Amino acid sequence: MVGDPDAELLLAFQRGDASAFRTLFERHARAMVAFCNHFVRNAARAEELAQDVFLKLHQAAPRYQPTARFKTFLYRIASNHCLNELRRGEQAARRQVRVRPGDEPPDLDALPGPAPTPEQEATGGALARAVEALLDRLPEKQRVAFVLCRFQGLSYDEIAAALDTSVPAVKSLIHRATVTAAEALAPFAPDGEVLP
Amino acid sequence: MTHVREELTALLDGALEPAERARVEAHLAACAECRAGRDRTAAGLAALGRLPPPPEPSPQFEQRFYARLARERTAVPRGPLRHLSWRFLAPLAAAGAAAALVIGVGLRERHRQAFIADHLGLFESPELVASVGDVAPQDVEVVAHLDELEGTP
Repeated sequence: MVGDPDAELLLAFQRGDASAFRTLFERHARAMVAFCNHFVRNAARAEELAQDVFLKLHQAAPRYQPTARFKTFLYRIASNHCLNELRRGEQAARRQVRVRPGDEPPDLDALPGPAPTPEQEATGGALARAVEALLDRLPEKQRVAFVLCRFQGLSYDEIAAALDTSVPAVKSLIHRATVTAAEALAPFAPDGEVLP
Repeated sequence: MTHVREELTALLDGALEPAERARVEAHLAACAECRAGRDRTAAGLAALGRLPPPPEPSPQFEQRFYARLARERTAVPRGPLRHLSWRFLAPLAAAGAAAALVIGVGLRERHRQAFIADHLGLFESPELVASVGDVAPQDVEVVAHLDELEGTP
């Protein structure tokens, strides 16, 4: 794709240039670990997921067509992988908290989350936890669209291509997630409390 | 007056077409409710900007990835099946199992028919037929007079 240096690198890798893949890895590894961390919130697991994504990229590279931007190609792989991981995690959580007949059904939102790291406690820990709680509450499609938009910096067009959906659908997903976020994060707004 | 709540996020993200943007901004100039909605959304987005930076990957991350890549590449099956995934192999396996089942049932039926043909004479003995528990007396009578019945046109 014209004007997409990462796409050029992937095409170079298709032609056998192994160093081109290394460059892509170096450019996107950090962002990919951060992206995966928004779904599992465990540094070691996020790194494993990011590795999975790059392995899939390595395997899928021969099928890459330069009509798609590299970033949408990469985040399509990553989004599918993280959504699958999210579904597996929810199933595992349901199995773990399965209760005896007659007991009240478990509230998954009330389950304890991972303990905050000292870094989180020191700087913006409360805000980080509020964002984590927010992401947990969002339906999965809203969650992935919101993360792609707010944390990975993809445009609506790129998100639509990555999620294989339309731009109006992305606009609606991001709007609903952002309204929920604005309510949840109002106490952390720069001007202090936001009045209703 | 039609409110523009659904467009506020896209407006703040700069994702509206120029004509749509002009329409939304004109509405905002006249609607305090939508302006308040826009300000709430903008404040929430500004809060996101105060998040601490995401944690760095561990120093061994890259090394671990390439070690894993090397392992995965050596684990890839050789030969003509290398490019086939279970998506293609599973239907083939299912079709093979179904064919084996059909052949097995056919062979069993053929064997049963051959056994009956080989032992047809036994069914013409009224004593033998009567010795079988579930046979009605009239059936024994029919077998006893098979010769006469076979002669009937």
